[in-house]
Amino acid sequence: MTSPATTARRREVDARIDARVGLVVFLGATAMLFAALLLAYAIVRAQAPAWPPAGAPPFPRGAAAANTLALVAASIALRRGRPRAALAFGAAFLAAQGALWRHLVAIHLGPAAGALGEVFFALSVLHALHVAGGLLALAWAGPARRGLLTLYWDFVLVLWLVVYLAVCVL
Amino acid sequence: MSAGKVAASDEGELPPEPTGFWRRWVFSLDHKVIGRQFLFLGLAFLAVGGLMAMLIRWQLASPGVPVPVVGKLLFGPSGGVISPVAYTALFTMHGTIMIFFAVTPILIGGFGNFCLPLLVGARDMAFPRLNMASFWTMFAATAVLTASFFVPLGPPEAGWTAYATLSTAIGAPGPGQTLWVVAIYLNGASSVMGAVNYITTVLRLRAPGMTYLRLPLTVWGFFLTSILNALFVPVLAAAMVLLFFDRVLGTQFFVAGTTPGAGGDPILYQHLFWLFGHPEVYILILPAWGIVGDLLAFFARKPVFGYRVTVGALVGVVVLSCVVYGHHMFTTGMSPLLGESFMLLTMIISVPTSLIVLSWLGTVWRGAIRFPTPMLFCLGLVFTFGVGGLTGLYLADITADLYLHDTYFVVGHFHLIMAAALLMSLFAATYFWFPKMFGRMMNEPLGKLHFWLTFVPLNVVFFGMLAIGYQGMQRRLYDPSVYDFLKPLLPWNRAVSHAAYLLGAAQLVFVVNFFWSLARGPRAAANPWEVGTLEWTVPSPPPHHNFDRIPIVVRGPHELGHPAARALGRDWLSQTELEGDTPPPRAPTEEPA
Amino acid sequence: MHIELPRDASLDGHLVDGAIGYLTLTTGIVFALALVFLLAALLFHRARAGRTWGRHAHGNRARDRVLMFSVALVMFVAIDVTLALRTTRDLEGRFWRYPDADPAAVRVEVTARQWAWSFRTAGPDGRFGTPDDVVTLNELDIPVGRPIYLKLRALDVVHSLYLPSFRTKIDAIPGATTRAWFQATAPGRFELGCAQHCGVNHYKMRGIVVARAADDYRDWLGRAEADSRLRYDPAASAAAGGWDWETGK
Repeated sequence: MTSPATTARRREVDARIDARVGLVVFLGATAMLFAALLLAYAIVRAQAPAWPPAGAPPFPRGAAAANTLALVAASIALRRGRPRAALAFGAAFLAAQGALWRHLVAIHLGPAAGALGEVFFALSVLHALHVAGGLLALAWAGPARRGLLTLYWDFVLVLWLVVYLAVCVL
Repeated sequence: MSAGKVAASDEGELPPEPTGFWRRWVFSLDHKVIGRQFLFLGLAFLAVGGLMAMLIRWQLASPGVPVPVVGKLLFGPSGGVISPVAYTALFTMHGTIMIFFAVTPILIGGFGNFCLPLLVGARDMAFPRLNMASFWTMFAATAVLTASFFVPLGPPEAGWTAYATLSTAIGAPGPGQTLWVVAIYLNGASSVMGAVNYITTVLRLRAPGMTYLRLPLTVWGFFLTSILNALFVPVLAAAMVLLFFDRVLGTQFFVAGTTPGAGGDPILYQHLFWLFGHPEVYILILPAWGIVGDLLAFFARKPVFGYRVTVGALVGVVVLSCVVYGHHMFTTGMSPLLGESFMLLTMIISVPTSLIVLSWLGTVWRGAIRFPTPMLFCLGLVFTFGVGGLTGLYLADITADLYLHDTYFVVGHFHLIMAAALLMSLFAATYFWFPKMFGRMMNEPLGKLHFWLTFVPLNVVFFGMLAIGYQGMQRRLYDPSVYDFLKPLLPWNRAVSHAAYLLGAAQLVFVVNFFWSLARGPRAAANPWEVGTLEWTVPSPPPHHNFDRIPIVVRGPHELGHPAARALGRDWLSQTELEGDTPPPRAPTEEPA
Repeated sequence: MHIELPRDASLDGHLVDGAIGYLTLTTGIVFALALVFLLAALLFHRARAGRTWGRHAHGNRARDRVLMFSVALVMFVAIDVTLALRTTRDLEGRFWRYPDADPAAVRVEVTARQWAWSFRTAGPDGRFGTPDDVVTLNELDIPVGRPIYLKLRALDVVHSLYLPSFRTKIDAIPGATTRAWFQATAPGRFELGCAQHCGVNHYKMRGIVVARAADDYRDWLGRAEADSRLRYDPAASAAAGGWDWETGK
């Protein structure tokens, strides 16, 4: 017969594993969303007469790369047990993305301005929505969720790296 | 091996029950309440979608004739006659509602939610709050969809498939189509939330002793459906996102000009849509296969024939469903190699499917078959799915598909499966689990009447559609008599419509039975069907916490006709009961399990 | 009660009808066998006085599995494999082998729009974009006994050209060019329609295929081409619809 304390502890551990399993399933679903969007990008690119599309201004890679640092910082901050710093870095990323989008529209790389713009916007807007969701989770969740949050933010970072590489570099 | 939680004896105290009306019945965390909420929402939309079907059939049977009773109210501007615009909105919303807002919430949200924790021996889903969120997200989706009826230029008219560029600003300038996109997205979000919950529950919350190979097939159905949901609803989301951007942000993913190479690609939409769309039909049918697999065994009073082969076949279908979607696009001019590959893969999927059907046949063979209402509906499913599945082969073959694509043959095919077989499974599930859900029995003679009044007209309707399509009538035609070669089909369309009206009216028998039994049906015992799965070991309806003590599972879910049960005066053994101290002598007919 | 496919006036339509016929035969046999088996079970193995226990068999023995897999495999080979081989042969040999190199083929550019079909034939000079091109609305005029090679475009949404009497169906997609070919074996007037939901008047997108015997077609083409020369306006070639057949531009 186990004591109530052991039962409660076991239940806590079980619940944590359950939550992790659930999060992994959710991340799998999210990965499929981005896989489909990347597939759309691949098809758009394969069918375009030239890539980057003729007449498109050069993509501001540097600015986009700089935004990546905010996400890296958020993940590191979380690992170091500083959720509020992570929240700040995450919000900074979103603000920086917003600025980048405004800039892109101004230089004719907006969503309505051609294939490169529309692809970047589709991927980055969906990504930003997931960052926003992550911010909500950060604001809401207690310390017990640290492991889950770290996993989520790492995922969001990796996702951004993939998007950046696929659209801005390759 | 079980990965479930600590055994009953170590449970400690049970979670507290909620009090107050709102916590108990509206914002409940209890999977049983949420399941019933999904069920009622879905049934309401099933009625709406069904009425839309009646209107579509009215137009095909009596073109240009005002709709009786409700015509002036619904179609006032056209004098009670269904206009071409109204007709396109009707078939668009009929398809959308039936797939996303009727079958999905009833089968997956309703029965999935109610049954899954009980069947695996858990107190609730892994994430009760996520479960509640999933329902309210679905509810929000229905609100957005309903709103599309009331915006300028009205509801969407691009079909439930919403092909580009008809669904972009080119073909659909109003906000109705945009609202549709949002509603589908929210519906999908609800499904993904459900998938996360169901998958985690099956992986983590099975009772001790509930190995994967002791799971009822119903659980396998919901589990595999959830895997497909998690993987492929996001692909639909991608299609919706890009369509939304095309409509609202001026992107040109799907918007094409007249010159090749300039602008986007409407076929990209079709690829994304059907990458989801084909798994979607398996998402819908897998729970039905699971439920029917179990119920046939229960009512034949013997185990499932070839349980492991069945599970393997279900998994095989899931894997193959990902790579067959191109058979919806054979006429788009795809490369021959691609087309032939899709044809071959689509044909291969008939192998696991036929194994599943063979298992059903083997299950009833040499049984002691009982025929209460749930069993009648299961047999109805076996019949309609048999035909529907076989007609799929016509469409898998490209040569035949060149003629049959986008005719009523396709409509007959998918309705035989999606409407007939699925409907049969919905009713089978309802009659079967009604006692457990509501603590009362449904009326048996009314149930049997409902079955026959449904089964016969249903076959007339959908076999009729196969015949109409065979004779060449295209889909989505407001008035087929525009074509001389379709004029002779008016009597056929009339006959189908009359059968459809009968089918629709017959559902009143179900509605009456359902609500009467809810109020006045005889109280249900814990196990009226005399079967061994876990939900029948608890009272009807179950208490809030499901099980007083988490059960320990010692055998599979279909141990009917088990010799050891004779000593107990019955022909079934529960999943949790031990056989007694001495094993019973091996009877000569007994097969090793 | 008579169920018939539309009249087949095409060279290769019999391949389609043959495939459908084979499917009906084989799936019919399978269904009949399964139904008989099922009904036998329901009749003879229903619960009654002498039969209150079902057979406690799990169907997991080797021979049960062999039985199930054998039946499934036989069905697969008899229906699916046979059809797949036949269809691959038909597609690669006939339907998807286009008469690019055939001088006798009549080339027609098809433009689909909401909600009408226009057809442009090259005229006696055999080249598109010249004064003798014949453009018809909702009417496809063809000679009997020669391959009719269609290339299709759509101006707005996806449509699908459906020629029931020639067992042909091919989508017309905005921004892309699709193609199909068929050959008429008998003169006559045959309906054509749209087989992809394209908006509120999708049901009205009807047309006629007029198949003419060789001299009749020559006469018609001569008259039509004379009309075209009268109407030809080089500035309005875009309005006449059509594109460079070879490059697709």
